[in-house]
Parts: sequence; C-alpha cells; structure tokens
Amino acid sequence: MASATLYSVSYDLSSALLHGLGSILPPAAASVVTNSDLIVGLAVLIFAVILLAASMINTIVLIWWERKLLGRFMDRRGAMHVGYAGLLQNFADGLKLFRKNTFQPEEADALGFYGGPLAYMVTSLIIFGILPISSGWNSGALPLTLLLALAVFSFAPLFIFISAWSSNNKYSLMGGMRSAAQMIAYEVPILLAVVAVVIVSGSFNLTTIVYEQQNYWFWGPLVVALIVFVAGMLAEMERIPFDLPEAEAELVEGWNTEYGGMLFAFFMLADYLRALVGSILVVLLFLGGWTMPSWVPSAATSFPLAGIVWFMVKTYIVFGLFVWVRASLPRVRTDQLLRVGWNRMIPLSLLSIFLAAVLVTVKCLPVFGCVPSMGV
Amino acid sequence: MSEMWINMGPQHPMTHGLWNLRVKIDGEMILDVDPEMGYLHRGIEKISEDRHYNEVITLMDRCCYVAGFAWEHLYILSAEEALHLRPPERAEYLRVLCDEFQRIGSHLMWYAAFVQDLGLMSPFLYGMRDRDLVLDLFQSYTGARMTYEYMRVGGVRNDLPPGFSDQARKVLDWLDARFPEYDQLCLGSTIFRERCDNLGLLKASDCVAHGVTGPMLRSAGMKRDLRKDRPYAAYDRLDFEVAVADGADVTARYLVRMEEMRQSVRILRQVLDWLDHHPGPVLADRLPRWLGAPYAPIGNEGYLLKRNYPKGVGFSAVEEPHGEAQAYVVNDGGEHPYRVKFRSPVFANISAARQYLVGYHVADIPPIMGSVDVCVGEVDR
Repeated sequence: MASATLYSVSYDLSSALLHGLGSILPPAAASVVTNSDLIVGLAVLIFAVILLAASMINTIVLIWWERKLLGRFMDRRGAMHVGYAGLLQNFADGLKLFRKNTFQPEEADALGFYGGPLAYMVTSLIIFGILPISSGWNSGALPLTLLLALAVFSFAPLFIFISAWSSNNKYSLMGGMRSAAQMIAYEVPILLAVVAVVIVSGSFNLTTIVYEQQNYWFWGPLVVALIVFVAGMLAEMERIPFDLPEAEAELVEGWNTEYGGMLFAFFMLADYLRALVGSILVVLLFLGGWTMPSWVPSAATSFPLAGIVWFMVKTYIVFGLFVWVRASLPRVRTDQLLRVGWNRMIPLSLLSIFLAAVLVTVKCLPVFGCVPSMGV
Repeated sequence: MSEMWINMGPQHPMTHGLWNLRVKIDGEMILDVDPEMGYLHRGIEKISEDRHYNEVITLMDRCCYVAGFAWEHLYILSAEEALHLRPPERAEYLRVLCDEFQRIGSHLMWYAAFVQDLGLMSPFLYGMRDRDLVLDLFQSYTGARMTYEYMRVGGVRNDLPPGFSDQARKVLDWLDARFPEYDQLCLGSTIFRERCDNLGLLKASDCVAHGVTGPMLRSAGMKRDLRKDRPYAAYDRLDFEVAVADGADVTARYLVRMEEMRQSVRILRQVLDWLDHHPGPVLADRLPRWLGAPYAPIGNEGYLLKRNYPKGVGFSAVEEPHGEAQAYVVNDGGEHPYRVKFRSPVFANISAARQYLVGYHVADIPPIMGSVDVCVGEVDR
C-alpha cells in the first residue's frame, strides 16, 4: 500500500497522458509537452481534482446520511424519492440552488458579500489536502499537518464575520458576532485537547499520530481530551446544541440570512465540509485512523482500499453521533455557551494534558498497554 | 454594539403567526419590547353581524386554527343564551369531547412549536405526529381536520360514527404512553432546564394586572380554571383536577400544559364512557325555523318567522387552550346577531410582553414567547 500514494498515482497518470500526447505530436512540440515541470504541474492538478471530487461527493453523501439518520430519529424516513433511498436528493437540491438567481442586498458590501462565502468555502476545502485518509494518501511530506489543519480550520470565524457584516442586516450581524465569539472561545480548548494527543504520540504529523495508535486507540486513555475535542468540534461546526449563530428561532438564519442560491449552497457545503473535517479529525486523533485493532481478522483489513473503507466507516459513525446529539438536544444560550467554553472546557482540557503527561511518564497502563514510543 | 430596534416579525420564525415583536436590544440584552398586532385582522366580529347565527360558526373556526372547537363552543354558548335555547345533554358531552380533544391537539401543537424554538428537533415531529391522531379523530366525525363547523346553535351537527369510542380510547392510551417520553426529552435535559428555569417570570399579581389567563396564570400558582370556577357544558359533572404549578417561569408553563393534557385524557375517558351509555338526540328539537335544520339552507321563510322572536343577550366564557376566552352576543330579534364581541386571551397574554421579556437575552425570546402559546388568528380576529 505504501508504495502507491495518491500523488504517485496522479503523477503516473499525468506522465502517461503527456507522454502519450508527445508521441503523436511533432518532436519540437513533444519535448515541450513532456517537460518534467509540466508533468509535475499536471500531476498536482489531477491530485487536486481527485481530492475536490472526493471531498465534495463525501460531503453530499454526508448530508444524505444526516437526513436519513435525523429522519429515523424523528420517526420518519428522510429523503426517499430521488435515487435509491433518496441518495441523489442532495444532488438535485444542489442543482436547484445552482440554477437560482443570487442577489445582493441594497448597500451590502460587494467584496465582503461575495468574497466571504468564497473564502469560507476555499479554506474549508484546503484542509482536505492536508488530512491523510489512508496510509497511501500522502507520503507525510509535511511534518506539522495537525497544526496546519487546525490553523486553516480556524480561519472560518473571520470569513463568517466578514460576510455577516457586509450583508448589512441586523440578524446577520448578530449571528456573525455570536459565531466569532463562539469559535474563538472553543478554539482554545480544542487546541489544548490536541496537545494531549501530541504529548502522547510525540508528533504533530497526523500520519505519525495514527501509527502511534497501534497498541491502543487514544480515545481510551485520553477520554477527557476526546470529550473536550468533540464538544469543541460541535461548537466549531455550529451544530445543535451549539448552533446559536444560525439559531433559526430568533435570528432567522443567523449570519447567512441574506444569502440565497449558490452562495447559500456555498455556506451549506462549507458547513458540511467542516463537519466532515471534524469527524475525520476525531477519527485520526482518537480512533486510530485507517488502522484496525489486531484482534480484527486480517481478511477484514487486507482487501484493496481497506484503509480508506474503514476510515470512512469510522468517520460516518462519528458523524452519526453528531447527528444523534443534534436530534436529541436543545440549543444553549450565548452566555451559557461562553461560560461553558471558558469555565469548564479549558480546565477540562488542562486536566487532559495533565493526564497525558502522566500517561507518558508511567509509560504503561493496566488495561490499554504501553505507549509505543515514549513521547517527545 | 450600540442599542438598536429590531423587528421580529411580521415574517419571522419566532412569531408563529403574523404579528410583529419590536425589540430594543443592546448586544444580546433586551431593553424594551413593543408587540404590534393587527396584521391578521379579518373583521370577524363585523362580518358576524351580516350572517345568520349558524353561519357565524364558520368564522369561529378561523379565529384560532389550532383551537377551532374551543371558539365554536364559546360562540355557541353565548348565542344559545341570547336565543334562549338549551342543547340536549348528549350535545353538551359531545362538546366537551370536542373541547378536550382540541385542548390536547392545541397543546401538542404548542409543544411542537415550543421545542422547535428551543432547537429540539425530534420532539417537534413527535408532537406533530401525535396531534395527527387527534386530527384523524376529528375527521372521522366532522369530516374536517381543522375547520370543523360541527357545533350548532342548539346542539351539534351529527352524532359520532360507530366505532368512534374504541378508536378514541386507542388514541388516549397511545397519548398516555407518550407523555413520559415528552417529559424525558424536555425536563430530563439539563440544557432544557438551564434554558427554561427562571425564564420569563410573570408573577400571579402581574398576571392579574395584565389580564393574563390560562396556563400562564396557573403556572404562577393561581388556581383559576373556568371549567371549575364557572362550569359550562358538562364540566360540572366530570371529575378532574386543575393543573397548577408555582414557578411562574417557562418550565412551570410547560408543566401546567403537560398536566392539562393528562387531565384532558382523564376527562375524555369519562366522557366516552358517558356517551357509550347515553344515546339520544344531539340537536334541540324545538329550534326556531329560521335557524334551520343542520344541513338545510336557510330559505326566505326565515324572514317571515323571525319577527316575534324574543330579544336577548348572551355572555359566555370558555377555558380555551390558551386562556379565558369570552364572547358577548346581542340578539335584537333579527336573523343576524346585532353585535358580537370576543375577548381573546392571547391578546392579553401578548400585551404583557414587556413584563416577561425585558431583561432577558435575545435568545430567550423564542422560548418565552413559545411558552405563551401565541395564536394570532384569535388575537386579531
């Protein structure tokens, strides 16, 4: 598996394409086409297109998964009519939004109004270039993927606030304020919880973190960090119970009140992209990524693409838990949210760092076994 | 953020109808509120003056789209008093049946809207699902799910279809089993208690001062229920408790409404038993000709017969799901009511908004207004 990474596949594809093109062109043109820089450039492009398509399709399937799960929780069926069990419903919805007219409110700031959603969408997509999905996904060329992913992830409040402010709408502005306050408040505990993982695994590299979970997945010993991380992620994704920036009961639709058509679809997609990123990060940091425990029969882990399959299964289960939370909890209030964020989550995450330090010091735990490599 | 006024309404998810709550906010704090009603005014009281007594019933269904029966009952009671009529006893029990099922239906609708305002998604659909069972029952004996036109001056339009009481008992059993589930989803949730406890406080003295009635008044610890205090229809022959709570907050209103649904189930079981064993007419047999038979169109002969009909006035007060509704009907001997006047409980309940909204957060507006149970149809009429 390790031999064929996604980049190497796209490089081979690009090389074959350009050499094929070169063989039917006159020699002068062929030497230009088969230039190694051009091959690398096309390889990167193919890499990006595959990633884009994969993340988009996954996002849309994620929405379907949420709709079906919510339907079941609510004693109904969810989308049923377009495609098998409504699988194509969201594609139809997306097309509908795509065909709609986008309009700009009077006195809205055009740059912020159109640039905000765009930047929000782009920064959400960038993270997918960073996250490893299986052992052959990227070769781990970047040593600090975890930090980079979280840094890009935390761009969002800025763009949300910009688009909310430039909408020139009071509800949008209030939603934007809430969103900024909430995301900044929950960024801190998330980072602190991640520090616990980093201490135990001794690396900021997501691939390394996954391989450090060979003996046991981190969710067991680092359960406090997991709780903090999941709660923080719920807030970062703006999902119930923390969806108050777009609390439809009082703020209509919060910061995206004024957006319609494709711009709304951008926000919607970016929200679910972020939800996907959140679920993926939980899987990578705490649930062993694409690896499976040793007691799983090897037949279940050795078929082609087994890593990606298990990874996706875990991701969808984690997202299913987020949906379950959404189906059963009411929304909290801004002051309660911030109080919980600053007064409860930060002490908890500090506790989780302490526990991680203890784990690294004692090296072995009775139930879970030993830390593979002894941390930093 | 500096102070600003925002309009929550007339098109806003919180309003659950067509009205406007103007809110003056500073950041997330509510400094002042100014409820504006009148967007749904249809002139029902004035239209009633040009209609025959039984034709007004059609309008009553439109007064409150979730509690049509309560408003039919309210009008019928005062019209009967004004026209010096008495309904048969079976009709009175049938009206109680309508009223109490309507109370359950209305409270389920309230439950659904209220939890939705709090962001609880699943119970919203549970409430709507169970309300549908009640609407199915209405459909089986009135033919309509929302605008029934079932009650008549002097009785009700028709008797129950065969097999109704078994079906109704099944629904009651189902509902009885659902109430603990509802409570678990709301009262069992820490976030719900955090959101709703000590929220939207309105003391009993303030309720009285502002004319606030119904579950809001009872949630403040005042045991006032027209079904007990000024019994109408068959309520004096039925055994039930008045639901009271003493928190005066949103949670207390939730508790009161939940308990009222349980009491309605209790009443309905008694009513169904009584109806099973006491067949009889459902419409008074000595109606003045011009009131018409239940289905017959009112012909010209009515104009000949109306002249010597005795004049009268009728007043009635009914404990509808939202509070105390009152009606006043003046009969001047003509075929139309001379004047019809209603008192809507929700109008008073909304008007006191400044008392229970100022000082809380913007995010508290939906649960508080949800706990008031706004039905704009009857506010504006």
